[in-house]
Parts: sequence; C-alpha cells; structure tokens
Amino acid sequence: MRFYVVLGAMTAISPFGLRAQAPIAPTPETVGRARGDDAGGYNIVNSFELGYRLRSVGGNLGKYRSDVNYGNGVRLLSSNLTVHSKEGHGRYFDDLALTTLGLGNDPYQSAVLRLAKNRWYRYDLLWRQNEYFNPALTISSGRHAMNVRRRLQDHDLTLFPQSKLRFLFGYSRNRQDGPALATVQQFGAHQDEFPLFTEVRRQRNEYRAGGELNIRRTKITFVRGWENFKEDTTGSLTDPSPGDNTADRIALRAFRRSEPYHGNTPFSRAVITSEPAPWFTLHARASYAISRRDFVLDEYAVGSDRFGADRSRQILVSGSGRRPVATANLTLNLFPAESVTISNHTAFHHSRMEGEHVYSETVNSAPGFTSLPFQYLGVRTLANTTDLNWRLTPRLTAFAGYQFSKRRIRSREQAERTPSPDDREAEQENSLHTILAGVRLRPARPLTVNVDGEIGRASTPFYPVSEKNYHALGGRLGYRSRSLQLTAYSKANYNANSNRITAHSSRSRHYAAAGSWNASSGLALEAGYTKMHLDTVSGVAYFAAGRATAGASLFASNMQVAHAGVRIGVAQRADLFAGYQRVQDAGDGRRAAGADAIAAAQVLPMRYHSPSARLSVRLKNKLRWNAGYQYYGYGEEFSPLQGYRGHTGFTSLLWSF
Amino acid sequence: MRALLGLLLLAPVLLRSADSRSSDASRAGYVGSAVCRTCHPDIWLNFYKNPHYKSLAAGTEPPEKTGCESCHGPAKAHVEARGGKSTIVAFSQLEPRQVLDRCLACHSKDLSRGQIRRSSHTLAEIACTGCHSIHRSPAPQQLLARKQPELCYDCHPQIQAQFSMPFKHRVNEGFMRCTDCHNPHGTQAAAWRMSQRPRMVETGTQGEQPCLKCHADKRGPFVFEHPAVRVDGCETCHQPHGSPHARLLRRPAVFTLCLECHNGAGGFGRQRDGIPRPSSAHNLADARYRNCTTCHVRIHGSNADPLMLR
Repeated sequence: MRFYVVLGAMTAISPFGLRAQAPIAPTPETVGRARGDDAGGYNIVNSFELGYRLRSVGGNLGKYRSDVNYGNGVRLLSSNLTVHSKEGHGRYFDDLALTTLGLGNDPYQSAVLRLAKNRWYRYDLLWRQNEYFNPALTISSGRHAMNVRRRLQDHDLTLFPQSKLRFLFGYSRNRQDGPALATVQQFGAHQDEFPLFTEVRRQRNEYRAGGELNIRRTKITFVRGWENFKEDTTGSLTDPSPGDNTADRIALRAFRRSEPYHGNTPFSRAVITSEPAPWFTLHARASYAISRRDFVLDEYAVGSDRFGADRSRQILVSGSGRRPVATANLTLNLFPAESVTISNHTAFHHSRMEGEHVYSETVNSAPGFTSLPFQYLGVRTLANTTDLNWRLTPRLTAFAGYQFSKRRIRSREQAERTPSPDDREAEQENSLHTILAGVRLRPARPLTVNVDGEIGRASTPFYPVSEKNYHALGGRLGYRSRSLQLTAYSKANYNANSNRITAHSSRSRHYAAAGSWNASSGLALEAGYTKMHLDTVSGVAYFAAGRATAGASLFASNMQVAHAGVRIGVAQRADLFAGYQRVQDAGDGRRAAGADAIAAAQVLPMRYHSPSARLSVRLKNKLRWNAGYQYYGYGEEFSPLQGYRGHTGFTSLLWSF
Repeated sequence: MRALLGLLLLAPVLLRSADSRSSDASRAGYVGSAVCRTCHPDIWLNFYKNPHYKSLAAGTEPPEKTGCESCHGPAKAHVEARGGKSTIVAFSQLEPRQVLDRCLACHSKDLSRGQIRRSSHTLAEIACTGCHSIHRSPAPQQLLARKQPELCYDCHPQIQAQFSMPFKHRVNEGFMRCTDCHNPHGTQAAAWRMSQRPRMVETGTQGEQPCLKCHADKRGPFVFEHPAVRVDGCETCHQPHGSPHARLLRRPAVFTLCLECHNGAGGFGRQRDGIPRPSSAHNLADARYRNCTTCHVRIHGSNADPLMLR
C-alpha cells in the first residue's frame, strides 16, 4: 500500500512533475510556494495567466479546426483564486475556490467555483463552453457541417451539509446553437439529395430538489427532478439546387422546414445506504422517470421531378413520444473475514418507448396519403453480479466474479393505430453468463502485477456485431517509487458472433507502456507508447449495379501512439519543456486504396504528430513569463486534401501571490 | 414485579451511563489536534484550507471525529513514544482494505460511493490514497493527488493514447473531465448493454449512458428509435474516447459500419428476422449510395419517418 501513498505524495509534492500530453498553454509552472496573503481573517491565494495565442495554418483549415481549433487573440489562459477563513468561522463563507480556463475566446472555456460555509451551505458551479466545428469531411458526402457553440452549466447547492438532515438543490443547463448544414431527399421513388442550411437551437434545463436524512448508520436520499428539453432547429434552401445527382432532372427551387420538438421528463430517485453491522453493508437505489416529447413537422418543397414536371410537396407530421423508465439496484457487501469481501449486485432496468404520429402528405395540391403509425420498443434488463475479493497473503490477492443478465425486448410496429394483421409484434430474450477472475501480485513493495480474464456467452445477441462468445485477457504492471513511475498494460478482446447465415469476429489487442522519471530537481522525463490493433470480419450483403452481392467486410487498424517529453530547470529561474507526440495508423499495410469500394473504405492510413516546446522564466518572486510553440501536422495516405500543418504559439505573463 | 418495573424505569439511565462510560473510555487515548501541530507544523499550517478542517471548526464533534485523530486515531501513545508509525494509524502502513474502511467511516454514505466495494479500482486494490492526497493536493475540491486527466493517465496509458487521436472528446483541453462519464468509485451495472463491462461508467438520470447527459438531442423518446442506441448503446457505432475517424465512428466510412449490421441475416434485430439490408434501389457501386446518412439524416431516431429520412 505504501507505494500508493508515495505516489500520491510524490505527484502532489513534486513541483517538477511533467504534465501529460496537453495543449502547450496554459503553462503548468507556478511562481514560488503559494502561501497567499491574509486579510480580514481570510487567506487569499490568487494567480492568473494572461497571454496571447497565435496561429498559422496551411492546408485544410476545416480539418485543423475540427481537430485543434485554437485561434489568435488575447486570452485569460488560466486563473486560480482560493479564499479560506483561517478559523473556519467566516461571516458569509469559509471556502471559496474559483478556477478558470481559456476565458476570452478559446474554443474550450470553463469555470469551476466552490463556495462553502461550514455547517450552513456548499455551492458548486461548473460552467463550460465549447466551440464545435465540424467540416463534414467524408461523412454524408461532406454535407453535414456544423459550426455550433455548446454551453453547459451545473449548479448544486447543499444546505446544512454537516447535519443529519441535508437539503439538496440543483440546476443544469445545456444549450447548443449555431449554423449547420444538412441534407434532404426529395421527389419520388428515385429521389435526389439537396443541401440544406439549418439553424441549430437546442436547450435542456434540469431542476432538482431533494433531501438526505442520516439516521444512525443509514442514510436515505430522495431527489425529485424535472427536465425540460426543446429543439427548434429550422431548415431552408438558400438557393435553387440541381441536387447531388446532376444527371437527373430532379431539382429543388424552394424549401423550408420547421420541426419544433418539446417535452419534459419528471423523475424521482430514492437511495438507501446502510451499514447495519461491521460485516455487512447495503446500498439500494430506485428511480422512475417519464419522458414525453411532442412534435410537429411542417415541410414544404417546390421543384421538379425526374421527368422535369413541376412538383410541390408538403408534409405535415404531429404526434408524441413517451418513455417511462424504471430502474432499481441493490448492492450487498459482506465481509466474513478481514481478508475477504463478497459483493452482490442486482440491477433492474425497464424502458418502454412508445409513440405515434399523424403523417399527411400533399403533392401538387392534391392530398396524398395519411398514415397513423404506432411504435413500441420495450427493453427490460435484469443483471446480477457476484464478486469475491480474497487477500490470500499480503503479496497475493485473488478475485473472481460471475454475472448473469437477462434482457427481454418487446417490439410492436403498427402501420396504423388500429391493430391489423400486418402489424409486426415480437418478443425475444437474451441471456448472458460471464465469469471474471484474476490475481494481483505484489512481488516487491513498489511493484504490482495484475492479471485478469473474462469469458462471456450470450444466447441471442441483438446485432450481428454484438458480443456473443467473447473472452478478454488483461494484464497490468505498475512500478511506483518516489522518482520513477512505470506502467505496462495489455488487453486482448476476442468476440465471435456467427450463425448459419452470417459471421462476425473481432480481435482487439492493446499494448501500452509509459513511464516518467523525476531524475533530479531540475530534470524530468516522460515517455509512452501504445499499440492498438483491431481487425474484424463481418458478413455484408448489398446490391451493386442491380446484382445482389454477399461478402465480407474486413476492417484493419494498426494504431501506434507515442509521446515523449523532457523538462529541464535552469538555476531555479527558468523551465524548458520539449515534447513530441505521434499518432499513426498503418492500416493493413496497403499503399493505395484500390478499386474495391468496401476494401478502400476499411482502412485509414494516417499520421498525426505534434512537437511542442515551452520556456517559462521567473522574472520576479510573483511573476513569470512564458512562451511556447506547438506544431500540429496531419496527413492521410489516400486523401491528401485532408492534411494540414498548424503552427500555434503563445506568450503570457503569470502573476500570483 | 416491582424490581422488574424499577429496572425498566432505570434502564434508559443505566444504558446512558454505560454508554457514557464506554465513550469516555474510547476517548481516553485522544490528545487533540493542537498537540499534533507541535511536531507537524507543515501540515497544520495549511490545514485550515483542507475540507477536513470543518470538523475542527465546528467545535461540536467528539474527539474521534475531530481533526487529525479522526483519521489517524488516538495519538496519546504516539506522543508518548515521541513519534513512530507503529504507535498511530499511519496510512502508509495500512492495507488497501483498511484504508478504504477508514475513509468510508465518514464517506460511505455519499451517493456517489455506494458501489465502491465492487468497483474495478477496489478489486484491483487501489485504495483511496492511490488517487487522493489529503494533505498536499493540487486539486483542493476533491483532494486529488494530481489534476484530471493526468492522474487517470498514470495508470491508464492506453486511454491517454485514445485522447491523442484527431477526433476526441476534449479532455486534454480541459473542457471535459474523466469524471463527467466515469465514476472512479464504481457504478451500478450498465443497463444499456448486458456484459460485465463497462463497470465504471456513470449513468444518467434515467439509468442511460452518460453520453446522453450532454447529447440530449439523441436521447428521445422518438416515435422511430434506432434500436442500436437503446439496446446496445452508443458504442455500437462510436468510440467514445477518441478515434481517427470523423464523428468518433468505429469505421472510416459510415456505409461499412451500417452494412455490418444491416446485412439481412436472420436471427437478429427487433423481429429476429434480420436487420434489413439496403434495398435494390441502393446501388452500392454508385458513390452516392455509400453515404447512408446523406438521406437517413435522423439516424439516432426520428419522429416523422420510419426510415429516418427526416
């Protein structure tokens, strides 16, 4: 155990640890030892890093924005503020901790705040903003681009946090908006695809209220919540379009779509945690939620069909979807001896999705058809897991587990609300048995070795690619000392899911090794290498040039990821960091895509690498100047147009007290 | 009869008295945190910034639940012996199970730690102090030994590699944290799939996978659900940590991903008569038909079209 404590202490104490693979800014260096300043019974520690980011990109800027997205401009790269009352009896608060990242105009911004007064309240805020840019790339003919902003915020307030009766309140908000491109298919059985401009507007609000009661060795928690979701994304055609297939006569001259989708989900959750005896604990939880969404779709299109005749088409859809979800969990932990833990866990989950709509279509002002379908999809899962953890000797621990799961899926698909002979109704059950076993060795104090294996057998998987007959073997080696950390990891997953008609098998093998060495107070090294191999064989069937074709899809990926970094301190005044990271997929070794469409799409030989360097100089006791450079290079073997070369850098001042 | 009645009447008093005596006895070895600071001033100096300081500030807790001795146990013998790890509860000397028991004495009833006894970390004997540094934490809110994700990468280098891909969730950039999706203290069994794995993925309000906490527009309910989302989960098509493929897909091109399930082979799907393969109107020899989501735009679920065209 000691080495874990050493690890925790070492990583926390060492001012010279390496920061694992992250953007070059903000800088992790600090200015001196932050004791803070005392004022009015509080101790205040503050630091902020203000700087300028710069960027120059050659090649595919859209792909750069998708992968990296850092731009130019002034930023508050990071800031930290903590205020603590020295006696624990502050007037309005005892603890305040505020951390920010990327404020100003970085694509990834966040703020974390905790405000607490002992015995009275604790308030937590997490605010985040992400600028998401998706240039569509190869998906959907390169038509589904997005340039949206997502803002997330979570507020949690606990009243009387140290008392036996606590009150919990929470609010979460998730908002996404911005322009995007989509596609729509129009006019007749032989249709064409047209690009659409859409304005994404989605918003989710969740309100929570509850309480916790602590009686002797039992805690009872109850939370009631309400979730509201609304989407008001609209779509329109900005200019007349001949469609993707310019060989036909289908064209779209005008188009608009409005599809509001609103609803709410009230939910309740109750939890009981109890430790009635030293040899026994239990944790029980149940929840129930009913989601309901109402929607309307109004779509109007004007253009010409494949014969060149004028065509107008209006589609009106309205209806609702509902999904009650009930869950329950019970965990029992037994400790029959000091060295033995037995844990049994039962989980139940029942989701029943049902919905119907009224669909009507008008073509060239003449009523087309109306349908009233009804759909039901119910999934009920019951799982029970038992784990045994037995410490045989101080150096050897064995663990084993068994899980049984049973899933029932009921489905009903009606073309009309009134039941008819054509309705499709089905019920199926799938059961899964898995066995898990492993040992943990500690041959020497800082060294641990874990080996585990799992075998699973499912009766009737839902998908051809689902896990059916699978096994997994894993190993992990760790060495931890005050200055040296080494980790090696291996995991192999094999799955076969075949029947008389089709076959699927996948083989996944991951190997990783990483290490870091704090050689001295002025030198730290870090390096890692990971190999991820995956190959799958899947039966496929499709039509090509009018002929039914059956065959196999062969996917192969041989991903290699390596990183290395060195940090050098000079006379306790300057720190220099240099790092390199490379991701490379060799695919199946092919140098050219080849003529076969499926084979060509099943490998993606690519390379993605990023050298970086940072210099941080302590100007004064409380002031540090930083400058850094990071290069991002991306290239694909088969699609040179996707490549880019991104030069990014920053310079900043870090001030703290 | 009178004696019995007298005993019943006196029972509460006797029990309280016995309880008081045992409590006094159990508190005999406590010396108070002020004594500790004599030899450990470096820890004491900043202890008021530690969340555990609130037990001292309250001033109402009994000695066994106050300050240093609430975790390290009675210190009288330690003081008398002028230090030594054998005379006090030193976490560096404890077995993982003992560390866990000691921390759970106060923290066991927190909602997020209900499954800690069966978590993969506990099974691998990763005790609390493997990730938390109580006295020298750079992340004061959770007292982590290092900030996320570096702390997690120490033991999970293969996950670090996945977050180095061109397409990834923005964990390295600081927008997300590992604990947005994972509960390192263990979770209940995953309801969206059947296998043992994943064991450490936190569920959402409705017991669903955590992806839907942020990607709320994929949650539904929809009249026409894509069962892949509901039955086997998002991982059927996506790699959640990172991928070299656009939209975190498992394959470079979407049509091969679709074809691997939509092959018409009996025994699978809602009716167990096979997941429909593309009709003869789809000429896969034509590049137009190799972009399934160009037409099937509502692939996660649709309210208007069973084929998810709108």
